[in-house]
Amino acid sequence: MTYIHDAERQSGRRYANTQASMSFMGSSGLGGLSWGLVALLTMTALIGTAMLYSTTQAGSGAEADLWQRHLTRFGIGLVAMISLALVPLPIWFRLSYIVYFGALVLLVAVEFAGSVRGGAQRWLEIGPIAIQPSEPMKVALTLALARYYHSALAKVPTDAVRHHLVAAMIILVPAALIFMQPDFGTTLALVASGGVIVFLSGLRKEIIGAFALLGIVSVPLIYTFVLADYQKERVDTFITQLSGGDESQSLSEGYQIEQARIAIGSGGLTGKGYMQGTQTKLEYIPEQHTDFILTVIAEELGFVGAAGLMLIWAAILVWCLLIAGRCSERFGRFAAAGVAATLGFYIVFNVGMVIGLLPVVGVPMPLVSYGGTAMMTIMVAFGLILSADLHRDSRMPEGGLL
Amino acid sequence: MAADRRPSEVFVSRRNILFGAGALVWTGLLGRLAQLQLLDGEELREKAADNEVRFDLDPPSRGRILDRFGLPLADHRQAGRIAIIREQAGDMDTVLAEISKTVDLSPERREAITRRARNQAAFLQTEVARELTYEEFARLSIHAAQLPGVVVEIGDTRSYPRGRDFAHVLGYVARASQKDINALTLNALDLTTAERRLLDEIEYGEWDHHAAIDRAIRGDQTDIRRNQLANRWSDVASEVNRLYKHPDMRTGRSGVEATCNSWLTGTRGARAVVTNAAGRIIERVPDADRATVPGKDVALTIDSELQRAAINRFGDETGACVVIDVESGDVLALVSTPAFDPNDFVNGISQADYDLLRNNPDSPLYHKAFDGVYPPGSTFKMVVATAALEAGVVSPTERIRCNGRYRLGRRTWSCWKKEGHGPVNLHEALKGSCDTYFYEISRRTGVDKIADVARRFGFGRSWSHLGLTGGARGVVPDPAWKEANRGEPWQQGETLNYGIGQGFLTSTPLQLATMTAQLARGGRPSVPQMLGIGPQFSIERGEEATLDEEIIAMMQRGMYGVTSEGGGTALRSGDLGLGGPRMAGKTGTAQVRYISQAERRSGVIKNEDLERRLRDHALFVGYAPHDDPKLAISVIVEHGGSGSRAAGPVARDIMAEALRLDSRREPSWQRLAGRPSLGDAGSDRG
Repeated sequence: MTYIHDAERQSGRRYANTQASMSFMGSSGLGGLSWGLVALLTMTALIGTAMLYSTTQAGSGAEADLWQRHLTRFGIGLVAMISLALVPLPIWFRLSYIVYFGALVLLVAVEFAGSVRGGAQRWLEIGPIAIQPSEPMKVALTLALARYYHSALAKVPTDAVRHHLVAAMIILVPAALIFMQPDFGTTLALVASGGVIVFLSGLRKEIIGAFALLGIVSVPLIYTFVLADYQKERVDTFITQLSGGDESQSLSEGYQIEQARIAIGSGGLTGKGYMQGTQTKLEYIPEQHTDFILTVIAEELGFVGAAGLMLIWAAILVWCLLIAGRCSERFGRFAAAGVAATLGFYIVFNVGMVIGLLPVVGVPMPLVSYGGTAMMTIMVAFGLILSADLHRDSRMPEGGLL
Repeated sequence: MAADRRPSEVFVSRRNILFGAGALVWTGLLGRLAQLQLLDGEELREKAADNEVRFDLDPPSRGRILDRFGLPLADHRQAGRIAIIREQAGDMDTVLAEISKTVDLSPERREAITRRARNQAAFLQTEVARELTYEEFARLSIHAAQLPGVVVEIGDTRSYPRGRDFAHVLGYVARASQKDINALTLNALDLTTAERRLLDEIEYGEWDHHAAIDRAIRGDQTDIRRNQLANRWSDVASEVNRLYKHPDMRTGRSGVEATCNSWLTGTRGARAVVTNAAGRIIERVPDADRATVPGKDVALTIDSELQRAAINRFGDETGACVVIDVESGDVLALVSTPAFDPNDFVNGISQADYDLLRNNPDSPLYHKAFDGVYPPGSTFKMVVATAALEAGVVSPTERIRCNGRYRLGRRTWSCWKKEGHGPVNLHEALKGSCDTYFYEISRRTGVDKIADVARRFGFGRSWSHLGLTGGARGVVPDPAWKEANRGEPWQQGETLNYGIGQGFLTSTPLQLATMTAQLARGGRPSVPQMLGIGPQFSIERGEEATLDEEIIAMMQRGMYGVTSEGGGTALRSGDLGLGGPRMAGKTGTAQVRYISQAERRSGVIKNEDLERRLRDHALFVGYAPHDDPKLAISVIVEHGGSGSRAAGPVARDIMAEALRLDSRREPSWQRLAGRPSLGDAGSDRG
């Protein structure tokens, strides 16, 4: 199928949709859902469950029923995701700003009433449930930016800089709040995925270049004036590690990274066998059921397992970006691509950290690491993508804030 | 606004850039993963194995100490102990209450155990009780299955089956203190003198950082060596520290246990265990174990039967006794009584019990035979006579008249026999122990000659190669000594006191025994030996030397007279029940208090009437058989009164027992060919 575009303002050229030949387009019922994508997600979550089961077999390690809870959450998340997929995209569109401001309010509330866990004020306790408002913000920010660009680009040329200033505000306000918690990893992921949407919106290349330059220049300034001591320490550790530094550090971050490196490396091509990892079973790896779960996969299933997981994620992300490309309206495109970017950054940060290419920022591996709020966020995000796919031809309402 | 319902080209081209960037990043991540897992895999696998396998020190069992005939004097004994692992015990109080049904545990003790358990890692053992009786061990072993976190096991404990008999000889073992650990570390480092000096500098010296840098720039290696040494020290110290933290490990604190410590200790092995990051053992890997080399046994020259008999003979009396094999120098008995029980020290003695030992007026902690110094009294008269004959100031036949008193200047010295001995020659003077005769010949001989001969008899020296700790030298006084120690010139009157073994002169029971052995050997010095098998310590060179055989023969005849001829002071002590062969000897009485002139005039108070602590020490030295000397003995009975009545019979009975037991027969161990002799520079320091 080919779309015939109207007077496209910049180029005026014809555009051929490469995804035109998808067979199940047009249906907006359950049959039109990207079941292949759902299958990939389920596969990933099951890998996570299996690895969590493995970590519970360590001496006194994690609680024994972690894997069951992970699986239950995924099950609930799956139902929620499919339900959300059925929600028409215009409703997502209408709710975008409400969700965004709601999440913003929660972030502010955390600042004043949040509870401190592990030295950071990230949790908001509402009755029996504790949530991390930074998690819903990941989806909310994408929605808000998608809606913003959807409307803004309809009015003015794409290369007008002022749209992007508003977009920058939308990104930086929550980013600043999360940074103050402090949660450097989430801040970075938020800014980066927001940046991707800005990039996709067509911001002029010269400006992108200028920002890139500014970014590079600001690194030492951020290090000196913005980062807290423990964050500086992580960066220092990382630099020490990169420069082949001291292996004798054993109590600091360097220890964690060195032990992770040993665990991953000792896995070899095919690993030590499921549940046979010595590094992880003997608890040399802290946080092995959350941020460092890749070490368990790499040690027990080897390069085959770790690279396999990476490839599954690559397939999921490509699928998401293809969905973005298939959307007929900007909102769906930006939302799907923004969610894909967020997930992509998570994976890059997580893997980069675990294999020692990036500083320890404390970012989980989506669907694989144990953690309730993150799981819900991810399932909601995929709900959004599936909805964008299912309702790719829906028309967004015009005007109004709601 | 229906303007834009199709994907813009901008979006698609930007998305494609995103695809490219993503592919690039993914390639990077996968590349790094491949580098770690496929290229560095081998090295990292080894590191992972290092991580898992830890070597736990396996303490060596301590060597035994045997007597002359292979009977164990210090042994290892298996003793049950019970420990608790907090992590598995759940409620400590419940479990301890359950244990206390079998083993008596006071509430304070239970509290102390709980506190100790809290202060260490939860998976480590905390000792609840040791030295379990057989019944306790059996009951608890059955019980332990039901009690969570309770470990009942057998540990290796040092035991001294002969108890008090060898307290001073063997010493005892104890848990290593920080001081012990430093000493053991120093020993293990085996430093050269220069390194020792450097180490002292590190410890005590002022360290000038800037000066050190300057030196390093000039190419001076001292500071580098110093650092290397400090590192070596801390490596070895941490290893020693780890080993001695083991509940079975002990270190020798005194006696043979201390001097032969490294011989007895052996070499530690290691047990390979797989541990988790917290250090808890997950499993054992027997194939990777390093073997433990148990400590070697030490064999002594002492006959434990004779030692026991000698101690029994002392009964309630306190004192010391040394029996030496005349030919070999083997120490066959080394008695100091009363003694402590070294078993009490193995697991640490309570302060109250220790105070009891320390405040006991009979000094059970004190090694009287080796550390105790006493005036030799009349047992010294053979030395004086030898000096006089050597100096030629008296002939054996010359008679000197004794009327009970000896006058020099304005002072008067008394003979023990108030009515006097009449005119006596050398033989009679020795036999009757005539003080007047010896006042005269010592005055003629002079202090320097007497001191010289005393040293040649082995007075004033200690024997550090025996394997004993401590060791008194005693004092062989001469004018130089007095000037140095008292700051006064020598008085001639003091030479007279010298003549009867009193005054500043002091000696140890061991010295008296070696002196006697030298007399029995016809004047050849006697080098005592106590270690049959064990480290060979070098013998300090002393001033002892061979004496004139003819003169010594005269001394022997005199000593025979003492025990066997009419007028002898120890006639009751000569008969060993052997028929012909008798014991030759010499009595001695060492004054503990000064007897004033007034007392002399009014009649000396009899010893029996004095408080015990003021009574004279009774001494006896002798050898037997008189015609073919095999054994030499010295006995001191503290506050025993007279040598002839208190010490002589003790010596006689012990000597008779030694001959009956044939204590000097060939030992069960093989005598080493290269046994050190006088002046040898041995090497192995224990």
